[in-house]
Amino acid sequence: MVTTTVNGVRRELQAPADTPLLYVLRNDLELSGPQFGCGLAQCGACSVLLDGKEIRSCITPLSSAAGKEVTTLEGLPARWTKQKGLSPAEAEETLHPVQQAWIEEQTPLCGFCQSGMMIKATELLERVAAPSVAEIKQAFTTDGPSPHLCRCGSYTAIIAAVRLASSIMAKGGAR
Amino acid sequence: MKNQVNVFGAPLTRRNFVRAGGALLVGFGFAGPDALKNSARAAVPKNTLDPALPESWIEIHPDNTILLRTGKSDFGQSTTFTAYRQIVAEELSAPFEAITTVVMGDTDRTPDGSGAFDFLGSGTPNIRKAAAYTYQALLDLASQKLGAPRDQIIAKDGVFSGGGKSLSYGELVKGQQLKLTIPVEGDLTSPMGLTVKGNPPMKPVSQYTVIGKSFRNSVTESKVSAKEQWAVDVRLPGMLHARTVHPKSLGSTLVSVGPLDKTKFPNAQVVVKGNLVGVVAPTEWEAIRASQAVAAATKWKDWKGLPGHTRLFDYLKRDADWKTTKVTQSEKSTGDAPRALAGAAKKLTATYQLPYMKHAPMGPTMALADVRKDGTVYIYTHNQNPQALRGEIAQMLSTSIDNIVVRTFSGPGHYGRSNGGNAGAEDEAVILSQAVGKPVRVQWMRPEDFQWSTQSPAAMSDVEIGLDANGKISAYQIDHYMPAMQDDRPIGAVLAGLPTMAAPNEKAVFIGSTVNGIEDPWIYDGASTLIERGHGTFQVGQKASPYATGLRDHSMRTPGQFQQNFPRELAISEAAALAGADAIQFRMDHAKEERVLGVLKAVREASGWETRPSPRSKNASGAGVVRGQGVSVMFRSGTYWACVSHIAVTPSTGAIVVEKVTVAVDPGIVVNPMQLKRQVEGGTVMGVSIALLEELQFDESGITSRDWRTYPILKMADIPEINVVLLNRPEVGTYGGGSEAANALAAPAIAAALFDATGKIVRRLPLKPEYVQAVLKA
Repeated sequence: MVTTTVNGVRRELQAPADTPLLYVLRNDLELSGPQFGCGLAQCGACSVLLDGKEIRSCITPLSSAAGKEVTTLEGLPARWTKQKGLSPAEAEETLHPVQQAWIEEQTPLCGFCQSGMMIKATELLERVAAPSVAEIKQAFTTDGPSPHLCRCGSYTAIIAAVRLASSIMAKGGAR
Repeated sequence: MKNQVNVFGAPLTRRNFVRAGGALLVGFGFAGPDALKNSARAAVPKNTLDPALPESWIEIHPDNTILLRTGKSDFGQSTTFTAYRQIVAEELSAPFEAITTVVMGDTDRTPDGSGAFDFLGSGTPNIRKAAAYTYQALLDLASQKLGAPRDQIIAKDGVFSGGGKSLSYGELVKGQQLKLTIPVEGDLTSPMGLTVKGNPPMKPVSQYTVIGKSFRNSVTESKVSAKEQWAVDVRLPGMLHARTVHPKSLGSTLVSVGPLDKTKFPNAQVVVKGNLVGVVAPTEWEAIRASQAVAAATKWKDWKGLPGHTRLFDYLKRDADWKTTKVTQSEKSTGDAPRALAGAAKKLTATYQLPYMKHAPMGPTMALADVRKDGTVYIYTHNQNPQALRGEIAQMLSTSIDNIVVRTFSGPGHYGRSNGGNAGAEDEAVILSQAVGKPVRVQWMRPEDFQWSTQSPAAMSDVEIGLDANGKISAYQIDHYMPAMQDDRPIGAVLAGLPTMAAPNEKAVFIGSTVNGIEDPWIYDGASTLIERGHGTFQVGQKASPYATGLRDHSMRTPGQFQQNFPRELAISEAAALAGADAIQFRMDHAKEERVLGVLKAVREASGWETRPSPRSKNASGAGVVRGQGVSVMFRSGTYWACVSHIAVTPSTGAIVVEKVTVAVDPGIVVNPMQLKRQVEGGTVMGVSIALLEELQFDESGITSRDWRTYPILKMADIPEINVVLLNRPEVGTYGGGSEAANALAAPAIAAALFDATGKIVRRLPLKPEYVQAVLKA
């Protein structure tokens, strides 16, 4: 049994310890944010935050998450409201600024890669409050285990959304 | 009480109807000539929405909300959630927001079939006509209830006013049912599905209030907030996870199945059907590990039947059979090309080559199938053409479509791969579910999705262009060569030896046909002699394969037209250089259509184009960056497109950086500017990816591109600045498509820009550094 915290909730998981975290999140916890894209850490569709750092859940064994905190797309609103000291009730009605910006900019096309993109954006914006376009491109291309890939070609919209999210966060969450 | 009136050729039956909730329901029946001849076809299958029944298309509810149903599912185009709602709201004179529900794709919950392509139907999609008929029926009812003649009733925001009174649509329909029978033609499970016929009056464009606005895609929020149910999320009680073990090569047959170690995989089970091997288990991880163990010990016969990608064009030129299949010629073809070419002042003779490419969805294909004891089959998947899939599964099981239901959910973009129904996992899931008597979820792994899915066919074209003494095109002749593009045989059925449609052949019509039609409409009407021919052949490896498969092909975004437009547009740029003319001006001097001239002018102005002949530099070399510009033009699905690419190239390495792409789009009426812009940007990124990076690698036995390293696509750091110019032209009176074409525009413009920058022409894709370098050094 592996104990980990997923989106703020402590979980005792029965899956074999070598099971990739992605399958545990999707099948055991029924989370739909992280997606199976390649199983090879080459595309970023499965990205989640592990103690605040982006990892590829498709190649990360469950055992690596023991005693750590996992954040998926589902957990972004609570992560934001906790950072801002908002109440759980407010958290229910709030989306993370990254998610707000993704809607405002109409970023997703098919949307399959976008959970991983939003995880990456969150990681970046927690580290660099106002990234330049070059820094955004670098974050999504060379910083992580592999580039974050989008076959629909939404990169332009992602850059616009990251910049918008940055400005929403600078204003404390309100647009 | 029943009475019948006639609404613009469509018999309208109205009856008083007491129904819980009460709703105006409009449906359409089969009344096309085919259906009249063949009453069996007109019979409505079980598990099918009766197109003659009202609720099939549009429901208006007493609370003034509206539901619409369409066989076309969203695959990232956003059209069903934005443009379709706008079109229906417009024709009904109802608010956009009133359309609260869009039902898509499910074979038992939508009326018309067909696929996730050509959504706007060059201006008259089924749903627009359905809405137009509905409006006429509503108006008729309003006239009666308000006691005012039809022409004195005003409709606005879902309310009819006339005779001093007003009624909302919801109030109007309470306790009423309208049953329209409108001519519908086609086969539900054919790739094109049903088409609504007739000519109901459409709302004049000058009165549009909903079309033209940037409404948001209503599915974005659920996708962004992790509330969307994706196909990959569907689970059924007792469901087993499965992985299929595909043959060692594309033509290998099974020798022996590897043993399953029950001490390691106590809950797993192996299923063998012909040459299809599947491993099922209650948990996904056990299914994966057990299938890997079984695969490692499974023996297959060796097979070699492909030329390999390095020999591909030699094979296509020398060995492929282009004789069996009828050569096509475009309707515009005219004149005596050999004579005109012989008399030309200057002549361009060239051959262009396009590799096989992958659709490469971000998620590998998957499906969940539930073959029930009573013989009914439920399939939960993400497929561009669920009704066609339904037909294919019925054929595979030798059963009626009555027994098949396909439900669709969100998933990764397929870019045409499943627009004929077949995506890969559905048939395998059905075969395995039938074998084990439980619901089975098949998920392909990444390498399988590259190696066992279909591809966009390779192509080559021979071009001859003659210029007269004035530098005008006196003759244009092009011969396009491409293997069969539309193979919809489900691969699991093929491997299992179950019934499928025939392998691609010269006698088939459209699907499975080896015929190569002319897909790229000619727009340079100034050329007096024009010959455009299409040559087709079987799929590469098909004749050598025990499965008659080889490299299976399928249409990909801008299918066939991309393969024909690349050679044409690059050749036109070369011809302009030969004439000593500017590439945009040369095109404008040959085009007559005002809308072609319009997009060229717009792209010239917006891109910062330098009007001058190419090339800028004749023999670029060394490690210093040189820059160039190139242009391309296309007409597709009612929309005119022009594109300018600006690139920087390092001659010593052959490395290209695409710095800026400008696209001008004239679809006639722009339905939703924001969504169209996003489609064009996305298509452009895909187009740059295709131009620079994408080439299927394969050897004599199979596909060796197996992941994102061996089939790279464009990364964020490498995207150009993208400028999209939307030309809204209400006077055109119709709206063209916007989700295709953009992915095809960049490549010929980039190749022309490379020529402009270096003076050397690379007539093949992708423009990988090694290919570019080889030409620059020659």
